[in-house]
Amino acid sequence: MAKLTIDDQVIEVPNGTRLFDACRLARGEDLPHFCYHPDLSVAGVCRLCQVEIEGLPKLTIACNTTVRDGMVVRTRSPRVQQAVKQVLEMHLINHPVDCPICDQAGECGLQDQYMDYGLYESEVAKSDKVLKRKAKIIGPHVILDQERCVLCSRCVRFCEEVTGTGELGIYNRGDRAEIDVAPGVELANNYSLNTVDICPVGALTSRDFRFQKRVWLLRSTPGICPGCATGCNVRLDHAGGRIYRLKPRRNDEVNGPWMCDGGRMTYKDVHADERLIQPLHRREGGLAELPWQQARELFYGLVKPGSVAFAVTDPRQSLEELVLFQRLAGRLVGEAQLAGGVAGEGDAPGDSLLLADDRRPNRRALAWLGLLELPPAALAAALAAARGVLLVYGGDPLAHPDIAAAARRLRIVYLGTHRGATAAAAELVVPLCAWAEKDALWVNRQGRVQRGQRAVAPPGLAREDWRVLVDILAHLGDDPGAADLPALRRVVAQRLQLADADALNLLPATGLVPEVPTVPLQSDAPETAANGGS
Amino acid sequence: MSAAACNILSARFGRADGHRLDVYEAEGGYRALRQVLGGMKPAEVVELVKGAGLRGRGGAGFPTGAKWSFVPSAAEDVYFFVNADESEPGTFKDRYLLDYDPHQTIEGAIISAYAVRAKLAFIYIRGEFGWLVDRVERAVTEAYSAGYLGRDILGSGYSLEMIVHKGAGAYICGEETGLINSVTGLKGQPSIKPPFPAVSGFLGRPTIVNNVETVAAVPWIVMHGAQAYRSYGTEKSPGTKLWSVSGPVRNPGVFEIPLGMPFADFFHGQLGGMQDGEEFKACIVGGSSVPVLTAAEIMACTLDYESLQEAGTMLGSGGMIIVPQRADMVELIKVLMHFYWDESCGQCTPCREGTGWLHRIASRLLKGEAVPADLELLEKVCNGMMGLTICPLADAAVMPMRSFLQRFRDEFAARIHETAAPEPVNRWARGE
Repeated sequence: MAKLTIDDQVIEVPNGTRLFDACRLARGEDLPHFCYHPDLSVAGVCRLCQVEIEGLPKLTIACNTTVRDGMVVRTRSPRVQQAVKQVLEMHLINHPVDCPICDQAGECGLQDQYMDYGLYESEVAKSDKVLKRKAKIIGPHVILDQERCVLCSRCVRFCEEVTGTGELGIYNRGDRAEIDVAPGVELANNYSLNTVDICPVGALTSRDFRFQKRVWLLRSTPGICPGCATGCNVRLDHAGGRIYRLKPRRNDEVNGPWMCDGGRMTYKDVHADERLIQPLHRREGGLAELPWQQARELFYGLVKPGSVAFAVTDPRQSLEELVLFQRLAGRLVGEAQLAGGVAGEGDAPGDSLLLADDRRPNRRALAWLGLLELPPAALAAALAAARGVLLVYGGDPLAHPDIAAAARRLRIVYLGTHRGATAAAAELVVPLCAWAEKDALWVNRQGRVQRGQRAVAPPGLAREDWRVLVDILAHLGDDPGAADLPALRRVVAQRLQLADADALNLLPATGLVPEVPTVPLQSDAPETAANGGS
Repeated sequence: MSAAACNILSARFGRADGHRLDVYEAEGGYRALRQVLGGMKPAEVVELVKGAGLRGRGGAGFPTGAKWSFVPSAAEDVYFFVNADESEPGTFKDRYLLDYDPHQTIEGAIISAYAVRAKLAFIYIRGEFGWLVDRVERAVTEAYSAGYLGRDILGSGYSLEMIVHKGAGAYICGEETGLINSVTGLKGQPSIKPPFPAVSGFLGRPTIVNNVETVAAVPWIVMHGAQAYRSYGTEKSPGTKLWSVSGPVRNPGVFEIPLGMPFADFFHGQLGGMQDGEEFKACIVGGSSVPVLTAAEIMACTLDYESLQEAGTMLGSGGMIIVPQRADMVELIKVLMHFYWDESCGQCTPCREGTGWLHRIASRLLKGEAVPADLELLEKVCNGMMGLTICPLADAAVMPMRSFLQRFRDEFAARIHETAAPEPVNRWARGE
């Protein structure tokens, strides 16, 4: 341990600690900075985190200094404040100060530092300004405003050190230096929007978010990205019931501070025109809207023991939902007539960073529950042999033509979120919530249970899945005792045979990797009642 | 020491045959190398150079032996670089050394590399010195043929490879970490320190970078000993120094004189005073980056590290620019500011933005478009640059600007027109 004095405060930190981090501890806030980023190499170029170290004649940048025992550091002395103010002014002299049309306004390092250290009148003659290129599209997701850039090189280092793709560079030198891509090169890696996140100013902005919303009007809700089995922790930024963007939320056990571009676009599905907003039932000429009360009556008329031939769910449903649906299916059909989804549906090659080949956010939960996905051919064969009602919860299995063909003679009841092939073929459609509209648990590929919170209300008359499922269970004479979410999660914990009944109600910030007794898959041991419930 | 010229470094200057190996050998060349490899340990060479008090001649004046001793003793791969990027405006001494007497530098480089236990040495020559690259490459080839380079040099068991590397012509590649990055194939930009190159430099290994003139003095020190070297110069500035003198003096050029020589003696002696009709106004004594002195100030100085520092300037590289009375100091500073603006690598914000700002204000002054507040603004901009960057390029721009403003403020003030206002920029007219 090293004992040092920062701003007259004695603190003790482990040897080898970066002075920048020690200063954060002592001050309760970061030193001013643009180029330093804890997940990238040290560039030491913005020159803002200058501190005074006793015994050294010159000011020193804290980001490239390791603490020493007995160090005496000042971060707020007049000399430091003066230096920071002057360096900040250098950052601003060629900046266009076009905050009114800049998406970064409100979450901009330059604005923040100016409020803390600047507050002076501009002394730059207009003719002394260096003008650079504005609004240059450099990739499918990112737009570059060279004039706003402070050349902190974070984005360049990100593409060198994190993705290893190296699309960005600093071209030219002196005050002609500019971030850019080489001719013919696009910033098109899977993680390009992270450069927008780490850009401390408005030089790199998201083409998707650009001009959509002032950031101070956004509210943030923590969530879990549904884009793949990695389960990146995200922040959903929303206003007026609409999600405007997803930003990564740091979880060093899962995604660090990053997430992929595809994951960021998953919010669009939540607000898609294809969302189901009303219960629907088939009449002559197609699907017609009907009130919930009638839908409920129709549902119980169709879905009852003996009438249901087959039930299918999907690994995009949450852990609680899968537990409830499995229990529900147990009342209606045999274990062999329940599929956890269509095997391999939607999967695509991922990458070595975050994006998984497995594009389902909750497939690991299927394994825990012993729910088996069926390949399209197997599901088609099973459906072709069945007669009666096909109960589909989530997904869109009929998007597969073979399955659709096999299900032609079945009466389909669909509980879901989007108009797809399954909804179109259904006799009764029950509208439910998309991932961002519910408080739910997700099990990522590490077997980590993570909680996503409800960011926005569902559209129209769509209802929360677990309430609908509990309602159906109760109607079938099986009250799970899940009056609220904590109770529901105790039901889930019991189903997973977790030692602590409230383990899922008290998740650590980084999620929980519980010891779940291995449930033999049906394919491994067809005789055992793997999904018998608790 | 006497004011007489000496020729530790400059014995073959101006001769048509000085660059040839046979000539160099006939005049005692490579004997120092034989002596070192014949029985001196690397640490003994380091001690010898420390004892001689040799200081880096590139500009910083750091003690050479001390720099060498920073290489960790257990280091396996050590690299040695000769810095021949000579690009400080007003400086043209290293090119004399390499042009007239390349073997002296090569021999010094081999001994220095041996002292720091390097197995690979580079001579980094600035891109504009195309003919020098040919000359030095030829000399290196000769040295290889003669067995002074390559495997098992002179049967000593010590092996050293030497590569002549041509830079692409950037001022900042003369800064040692910029130079190392340039050779590595990276953008020629200085690296943050720590780590220092002596611990982690080229390819992350211990690396020593020495100026040509520094290295060229090493064979003489080996042959004659530390005391003999100290018999030249002053106690804190031992030895001799090359001065490259430009400006309207009678005899401009490169001169070797002992450190500590009174400027007045040098000026009236070697330089022969000002040309007819010229009047001595100011002197930039150590390359364009050091503070300017008035003629009166420099006349009171002796030419060594301490005296010049006391006078408020620096010995620097020894690139002495004699400024005549007729020179326009505003125009001169504008030219200098253009240089630093053009050469700033652009990494550190204070330098990237500050050099450009200084240049643009100086340009407005010259055009008569400056306003009274601009003089204070110049000082303010300087304050926002000095000592706040990775390398000293920002300081190198600030020091002339501050000293020009301080000593020739009336010339600046005379350029200001009370009514002048900068024209507004119509950015849309640029098609943006």
